[in-house]
Amino acid sequence: MGFILTTLHFFVIGIIASFCTRICCNKGPSANLFHFTLVITATVCCWMMWAIVYLAQMNPLIVPILSEGE
Amino acid sequence: MEVLKNLPEMDLMRSEKMTSVQLIIPVESAHRAVSYLGELGLLQFRDLNDDKSPFQRTFVNQVKRCAEMSRKLRFFKDQINKAGLLSSALPTMQPDIDLEALETQLAEHEHELIEMNANSEKLQQTYNEFLEFKMVLQKAGVFLVSGNKSYETTEGIELDDNVYPSDYPESASLLEQATHSGPSNPSGLRFICGIIPKSKILLFERMLFRATRGNLLFNQAPADDLIMDAVSSEMVEKTVFVVFFSGEQARTKILKICEAFGANCYPVPEDFTKQTQITQEVLSRLSELETTLDVGIRHRNAALHTIGFHLTIWMTMVKREKAVFDTLNMLNFDVTKKCLVGEGWCPIFAKPQIQEALQRATFDSNSQVGIIFHVMDAVESPPTYFRTNAFTNAYQEIVDAYGVAKYQEANPAVYTVITFPFLFAVMFGDWGHGICLLIGALILIAREGKLSSQKLGSFMEMLFGGRYVLLLMSLFSIYCGLIYNEFFSVPYHIFGASAYKCRDKSCSDAYTVGLIKYRDAYPFGVDPSWRGSRSELPFLNSLKMKMSILFGVAQMNLGIMISYLNSIFFNNSLDIRYQFVPQMIFLNSLFGYLSLLIIIKWCTGSQADLYHVMIYMFLSPFDDLGENELFWGQRPLQILLLLSALVAVPWMLFPKPFILRKQHTERFQGRAYGILRSTEMDTDSEPGSARQHVEEFNFSEVFVHQMIHSIEFVLGSVSNTASYLRLWALSLAHSELSTVFYEKVLLLAWGYENILIRLVGLAVFAFATAFILLMMETLSAFLHALRLHWVEFQNKFYGGDGYKFKPFSFAAIADDED
Repeated sequence: MGFILTTLHFFVIGIIASFCTRICCNKGPSANLFHFTLVITATVCCWMMWAIVYLAQMNPLIVPILSEGE
Repeated sequence: MEVLKNLPEMDLMRSEKMTSVQLIIPVESAHRAVSYLGELGLLQFRDLNDDKSPFQRTFVNQVKRCAEMSRKLRFFKDQINKAGLLSSALPTMQPDIDLEALETQLAEHEHELIEMNANSEKLQQTYNEFLEFKMVLQKAGVFLVSGNKSYETTEGIELDDNVYPSDYPESASLLEQATHSGPSNPSGLRFICGIIPKSKILLFERMLFRATRGNLLFNQAPADDLIMDAVSSEMVEKTVFVVFFSGEQARTKILKICEAFGANCYPVPEDFTKQTQITQEVLSRLSELETTLDVGIRHRNAALHTIGFHLTIWMTMVKREKAVFDTLNMLNFDVTKKCLVGEGWCPIFAKPQIQEALQRATFDSNSQVGIIFHVMDAVESPPTYFRTNAFTNAYQEIVDAYGVAKYQEANPAVYTVITFPFLFAVMFGDWGHGICLLIGALILIAREGKLSSQKLGSFMEMLFGGRYVLLLMSLFSIYCGLIYNEFFSVPYHIFGASAYKCRDKSCSDAYTVGLIKYRDAYPFGVDPSWRGSRSELPFLNSLKMKMSILFGVAQMNLGIMISYLNSIFFNNSLDIRYQFVPQMIFLNSLFGYLSLLIIIKWCTGSQADLYHVMIYMFLSPFDDLGENELFWGQRPLQILLLLSALVAVPWMLFPKPFILRKQHTERFQGRAYGILRSTEMDTDSEPGSARQHVEEFNFSEVFVHQMIHSIEFVLGSVSNTASYLRLWALSLAHSELSTVFYEKVLLLAWGYENILIRLVGLAVFAFATAFILLMMETLSAFLHALRLHWVEFQNKFYGGDGYKFKPFSFAAIADDED
């Protein structure tokens, strides 16, 4: 559940960022497409990073064993 | 398919459409036209006189004159620098100066300067000689007085006192005086006074002893001040010497030795009163010379100052003129000798601007005939031109450093803008270090205006050029640092409490069995409980290795997709069917499947060993999976994928060469023009029927090429996927270094109560962080991220064998020279 919710958050943030970029610098269709590509690439990269780390911790096979002297 | 054919255009994706043009310029407007085109900077001239040597070209004389003028200007600049004047340019732009007038002006200035310099030199030389004479008089006078006294008492032989002439004609060197002023009396004790650099005095003395067989008396005293040595023109220490000897032969020998050693001899009278008289005269001459020299230098500096006002403007003008003539040399005269014909490349969007500039040139030079400018067909492929702004320029240069894109192929820079800083951040992830990088990047961007006009050192220039890259790198580093939960290697509970807790209240087995997971996974990033635990490395290593594989497979798939876009753009369905499809199948049935297994294992928490799964998939695909079963239907799926991969290899190897051969025979046998569905030619080269070059189709060459390509892909898929593991390796190294510096330097020093130790520890921590982690690790991660892009990403689709568009532009010349 947490996974899907946060994925949705990333998706919404991506949409909002694309809108902001379109509003801030609207320089013709080809430039807009380029900016859109950049924003989507960044969103996808960030989401992948978060998703990988989240999935890896969902069902871990080992647990933290504290070391002495902590 | 149709949708993909009509994809909307994206800004940096493909290079600008270029066209080959021909210009026919009448001679009277040629110079002006080329100047205006240089100001515009959008036309690349082709050198039509490539085979001619520089001396055979038309405008060689003008080029020589420009070179001569720039030599003069460089001479002026040297002189100004030597004189230590600051060059100040007049802020107002001068009206267009005629080149001829400038030439004569420069010649005049040069002549004047050379004359002034020569006079100064001579005066300076005379001044030095008088200075040396003064020192010799000072020091040698002491010896002679004592010697004089002793000789007068013993033998009464008169020592010649007409050693000096009564006045000093300026033209004759004093050395000549010394040689002429020999005593009239051949016998008797004589002396020679002089001055020699201190470094040579010992050898000199020894030589004199040997030459005169010991029959001499040698006295020396060091001079008080440093003197300018004429030979080496630097200030050296000199020693005054007096040599007493007897006999004419000894005198000639001594004089020759003096000359050989570069010792200057000066006539010093023995008589004390005469000495003082001469000293007075020398001192007065010295002060005269000083004032004369001063006046001379001031005069010269004034001249240099006036030149310095115009120097930059003149230099730019001469550079431009030389560039214009060099370009004019690339054009050809036509048959009537009244027009110059030129060819070149220009972007299609620039055609109106170029036409307008040419019209202006025609009007300004009062020419009756207009300049003809029309499109022409070209055989070679056009140059590559990307219109970049300050932000994308750095990324385009990064991509171009590996290879300039072929005309209109997909530009990897579009994705590199984001993925390059991102992969850097995966290897650098620490939000404390990221903030430091961000501060640096923001400083560079804030002082953009000031720094861009300054001349920076090569390291600072690279750093400044990449300021936007640095900005993105730092932003992504902060993000990845938050995900890895490392702030100078310290984790924080920013996103809530940890998901792990002790099993019971006493935490007795926390050190043996460990904590227990009682909640959902930590919502954002790595759980802070992992840091410092004994099982931290096994967990993080497994996480980061799998993460690297996932990123690698994703980026390589993106690369193959871009090659698909290229095939669509160039209408190359052969490539789509026999290259793109088998490549996708091969890569994804093996490494895409691995990625899938990784994700399933994470989601289900299965204990299956993925190494064994992959290995047994190849070694014994039909065996029972046992505890390595992750999902239902895994065994048949694995068999299917293995078969697909095995089929894909000959699919990408064999069909394409045979089909190419068939196409070639069909095309050039004149049959089946209508049946040809796909061609291998670019869509924007000339229509085939006009210039048909019958190429030899070397089947073995094509086959070997295809085989190399396939083997490279197949083996490369394994090696490239493994290469992405450097993401894990560097991130581990960064984390460990950071931990070591934090725990073993800062915490250790902080444990002591002494404030001095704490300060020292803080300083060492700061230095280590700045130099090792921020500089070295940044460069290292930068390099590895670059390699991942250049090799693993780009070899899936990039040709990179184009050439860059280099228009004739005055702005570019100014940049070049600086």
